[in-house]
Amino acid sequence: MSNQLPRFKSARESGYLLCIDCEKLHPLSLEGEHCDRCGARLHSRVPNSMNLSWASLIAAVLLFLPANLLPIMTFKSFGQGEPSTILSGIIHLLDQDMLLIGLIVLIASIVVPVLKIIAMTILLCTVQFRLQTNLRQKTLMFRIVEWIGRWSMLDVFVIGILVALVQLGNIAHIEGNDGATAFAVVVLLTMFSAIVFDTRLIWDNGVTDSPANDDQKDTQ
Amino acid sequence: MHGTPEQLIACHECDLLMERVSNHPNEDVICPRCHARIYYTTVNSIERLLALSIAGLILFIPANIFPILSLQVFGQSQSEIIFQSALSLFDGGLVLVALLILLFAIVVPLFQLVILFYISFSLHYHRTGRLLRQAMHGYQHLRGWGMLEIFLLGVLISIIKLKDIADLDIGLGLYSLAALIVVTTLSSVFFNPHQIWHEIDLNRQKARTNE
Ligand SMILES: [Zn+2]
Ligand SMILES: [Zn+2]
Repeated sequence: MSNQLPRFKSARESGYLLCIDCEKLHPLSLEGEHCDRCGARLHSRVPNSMNLSWASLIAAVLLFLPANLLPIMTFKSFGQGEPSTILSGIIHLLDQDMLLIGLIVLIASIVVPVLKIIAMTILLCTVQFRLQTNLRQKTLMFRIVEWIGRWSMLDVFVIGILVALVQLGNIAHIEGNDGATAFAVVVLLTMFSAIVFDTRLIWDNGVTDSPANDDQKDTQ
Repeated sequence: MHGTPEQLIACHECDLLMERVSNHPNEDVICPRCHARIYYTTVNSIERLLALSIAGLILFIPANIFPILSLQVFGQSQSEIIFQSALSLFDGGLVLVALLILLFAIVVPLFQLVILFYISFSLHYHRTGRLLRQAMHGYQHLRGWGMLEIFLLGVLISIIKLKDIADLDIGLGLYSLAALIVVTTLSSVFFNPHQIWHEIDLNRQKARTNE
């Protein structure tokens, strides 16, 4: 398919730009105009992608500690009860031998956000410092992170469901706390950081990454 | 570079420019550089989406009006519908979290079904569909923000958390929700933006020649 082309060449290098909304190819001279098929504004790269992505990632990192230290909900029964944080909720589940559920909540609430923050940092540094290694693996990492990130909303839904259901006055009731808001914002910010990140930037510096080079590597 | 823009295509993930090739149904065209799926063919995409969006809109009603769970402790009982999980947080002062649950578990899934119905209905019956562009943008930007399956997992976790302290009953709403998730998941599989934009082009050309 690409054999006829001399080497991997991006649309931008060849004088084209792709409408990201409807995937129609336009001449590069239409930058800033509207796509004649879908009406979206045409940009060869998402404008301000790096700044917006960095800003939301840093904001997510700053909010990550309060999200994990503040209580997310309080269970009260006959006047007694104490607030729980994300981590204490997970430990409580593990203590009660609910291993599988404890692990699911641990992965969704802590492992995934941490991995997502690390992955986005690696991707942003790749573009920022023009790194050229393992680009294919990094693209794959981005796809996984983008797909899995939304599952971090799990604990937020659990809080909503429990608060709505356990409203039995003095016998038992559950209320939500501010940690839940901080946590939801962290998840939103990491999702936003991935959405505004333009994956094409990763490949823009990979000038040496051509099929010709691959062939040489193979024969050596 | 040879060829006109019609014979060329670029990868949306790495911007690699390549020549368009014809593909068989069920055969994906993969980007040789980043391995993204460039385009593919979905058989009967429009008809399937029309059927699925109607089924989804019907299922949306019982999923939202019947209780998903009810709980009994000391003779007292409490049941909840999806909307109440947002409402109770709103009453408790967690406005932002309440709003997010309302959006991700109710508003976005409903919007996606309505938009999908509009797109597939307009294309199947060759209507002009003045809002087709906006509908396509809407659907594509809402992708990933409908979180019914995560909500369902949240319900299952809540059941396990509460099972030792109270008696729980699963309501009709939860079964409808599970069926609705099957429908929305299938419709996101059959939603082939590349192909639908092409259909919209054809639809528009037909409308123009009829004028
Ligand atoms: Zn377009
Ligand atoms: Zn690619």
